[in-house]
Amino acid sequence: MSVHLSDILMEFPGTRALDEVNVAFHFNEVHGLVGENGAGKSTFVNILGGSLQPTRGRITVAGTDVTLSSPRSALGHGIAHVSQEGSLVPSLTGAENIMLGVEPRHTAGIMRRGALRSEAERLLATWFPGLDLDLHRPVGDLPMADRKVIEIVRALRGDIRLLILDEPTATLEAREKKQLWGIIKRLPTKGVGVVLISHFLSEVVELSDRITVLRDGKHVGTLDRAAASEAVLTDLMLRREAGQPEAETAAPSTPADPATAPVILAVEDWAVGSVEMDAFHLRRGEIVGLIGLTGAGHFGFARSLYARQGVVRGELSVDGQPIRGSGVRVMQRAGVALVPDHRMENALAGDGTVVENLTMVHPEFAAKSGILNRSLERREADRVIKLLNVKTPNQRQLIRNLSGGNKQKVSIGKWLYGAEARYKVLIFIEPAEGVDIGAKMEIYAHMRRLAAEGAAILIASSDLGEIAQVCHRAIPFVHGRPGADIHARDFSEGQFITAITGDAA
Amino acid sequence: MTSQTAQISASTPASAPKPVRSDFVQRYSTLGVLILMFLGFSLFVDRFLTPFNLSNILQQIAILTIVGSGLTFGFAAKEIDLSVGYTVGLAGILVPLLLTMGYPLALALLAGLLAGIIVGLINGVLITKVGIPSLIATLAMGSILFGVNFLMTGGRAIYGGLPGTYLALGQGRLFGIPNLAFFMVCAVAIAWFVMERTVFGRYVYAVGGNQKAAELSGVRITFYRMAALVLVSVFAVIAGALLASRLGSGQPNVGERYLLDGLATVFIGMTMFRPGTATVLGTFCGALFIGVINNGLNLIGMDTYIQNIVKGIIILTAVAIVSRTTKLNLL
Repeated sequence: MSVHLSDILMEFPGTRALDEVNVAFHFNEVHGLVGENGAGKSTFVNILGGSLQPTRGRITVAGTDVTLSSPRSALGHGIAHVSQEGSLVPSLTGAENIMLGVEPRHTAGIMRRGALRSEAERLLATWFPGLDLDLHRPVGDLPMADRKVIEIVRALRGDIRLLILDEPTATLEAREKKQLWGIIKRLPTKGVGVVLISHFLSEVVELSDRITVLRDGKHVGTLDRAAASEAVLTDLMLRREAGQPEAETAAPSTPADPATAPVILAVEDWAVGSVEMDAFHLRRGEIVGLIGLTGAGHFGFARSLYARQGVVRGELSVDGQPIRGSGVRVMQRAGVALVPDHRMENALAGDGTVVENLTMVHPEFAAKSGILNRSLERREADRVIKLLNVKTPNQRQLIRNLSGGNKQKVSIGKWLYGAEARYKVLIFIEPAEGVDIGAKMEIYAHMRRLAAEGAAILIASSDLGEIAQVCHRAIPFVHGRPGADIHARDFSEGQFITAITGDAA
Repeated sequence: MTSQTAQISASTPASAPKPVRSDFVQRYSTLGVLILMFLGFSLFVDRFLTPFNLSNILQQIAILTIVGSGLTFGFAAKEIDLSVGYTVGLAGILVPLLLTMGYPLALALLAGLLAGIIVGLINGVLITKVGIPSLIATLAMGSILFGVNFLMTGGRAIYGGLPGTYLALGQGRLFGIPNLAFFMVCAVAIAWFVMERTVFGRYVYAVGGNQKAAELSGVRITFYRMAALVLVSVFAVIAGALLASRLGSGQPNVGERYLLDGLATVFIGMTMFRPGTATVLGTFCGALFIGVINNGLNLIGMDTYIQNIVKGIIILTAVAIVSRTTKLNLL
């Protein structure tokens, strides 16, 4: 008995996210699904869970053709999806969360609280007998592992044959992980197949009966557990397409002598959230990458250098000048800029024009006593547009009408408009998020150029290929702790994955 | 030709940017309707296209336009001020009250201006520092001002004893054109210049366009939100002082209708030029729209109640159009 997806093709405007993927998921196995970011894993499980409809392809459940038109229709065919983020209501108890939407009620619609509790307890005992878990406290007070179990029990409350688990252990401590592994392994023995997505290759190898590898939307292969090892999987995930230009993957030229270039940004004894960083130095002309798994803290650390929210302690200096006070204006004056992730939320006004967005940081460049000189403004905006090769019909085009890559260029351009060489440190978070390959290469070229002109660049990214392409060195984060630097000459994605999953197993 | 166009549009993905032509239609269709309406009334209503009636329209929309121009600052920063009608009323009472008490004109006007700044600052503090959504903060503020207005006069109108210089502001004419029209043009010109040609305006639009992005860009968002709210109130008290002058009396309840009418001018304005964004010129056209329609319906002999219904329908239509292009996140 299985769910069979054959010849699945998924096209988004401009890209082919999945190309002829064929996989059968059996109801008596844990089936691992691995691939780099952007390889098509999410698209694939979203199709399986009914959230997306493929452009072409055939899906059969137990031999019958089906259409999974919505998550609800997938549930009707016995397929449930437990997403990475968590979907529990923190203020409700475990029992209430498990029974959410199917609460037992009297004819008048009044909830039968006793029945609700006993039904939830029965479900838990059926699936995971002997598990000690308090179903009567608000789930917001429970450890992360217990919350995950409650989500799984809720997903299983119907007649479910296949359960999709998306990064189930990403937020868990090592001990909690082991506990959840036991639970996951038990499901196939009860006739429920598991589709497991995880960044932790060791976990996938440990738990899966079979493993499917995706790369660039293509089905690279499906391996039996016996044939799969972390090394083999890494190799399959990362193998480059023949014909990909060498320049794209080549490491950048290192600065004249990075070890002796002056330090521009220095951080000592920095603590923010779960991150603790004893010392961090960024030198002139250097491009440094921060890498890590979801929740490793590298994004939070990078952000905290600009907007010091949640910084518990730490000393920061720019160009040898200690920075007192917090707030983005202080950092800006010191010459630190941020190109954030989720650019439409954090960097750009979608209903604003290109020129309005470009001038968001330094409108005063083209003004005298607060009054704008429009021709000067137009010229300077034009300089930035040409410099970054922003493709827009004119400066008055609305930002929301531009493509992802051009939006990102405007987000970078904000720091170049009227501010040539003013910013000594540029912090990028996920710089190529939603950016097509051509624009990506241009953005990397701009980073190299800015670094060559004397800026220091810090990139926090989940795209390891990107780090390998532009950085001089990379710092892997594991559970909020930075590991040893990896220098460009030692860059390999296998090395990265080993470093960021360090103590995963 | 036809089949070719059909083919192209069929192969265009739904998410692709809309073609230029529909963009043009979007920007200027409301203006087109305004012009058509004007031509229609000119052709079919006898007394519409006369110098007297046209200057009458200007006089009728002048105060509304000043209120609307102020509200535009607020909308540009994504702050809505529901107390604006009572702020108009506040100045419309305070200024004549002080005048009847014998204070000189300049001092009375200054007091009105100060009252506007104070109301704006209170709104600003409630919204930016206390963190009450502007819709709710200014709704409550409106209730407070309503009470204050009636307390000041004991519920009665103030009339008689107003100096001629004050009455001339709202009732006089220059070269046959009502003074109010000049005040209106000045207000629109200043508001337009501030919003379109200064760094200040850029920042206000940035804050309204994406507060989070503006903050991360180093814009002092609290200052600009406050400033926008103060400008709303300042324009409202100027309108209020002129209103009492035109009426020749201070009445505690005349400001109210400027809330809904003022919002209407902004909403109509948001359908044109830059759909989804409040602009000063858009608001001005919105006021013209309302002025022309009210005047025309009046001349036809339409009941004022019908005018209210028509106005309500226009507001709903305008907001419906705006909502199709942008999310109106005002709460």
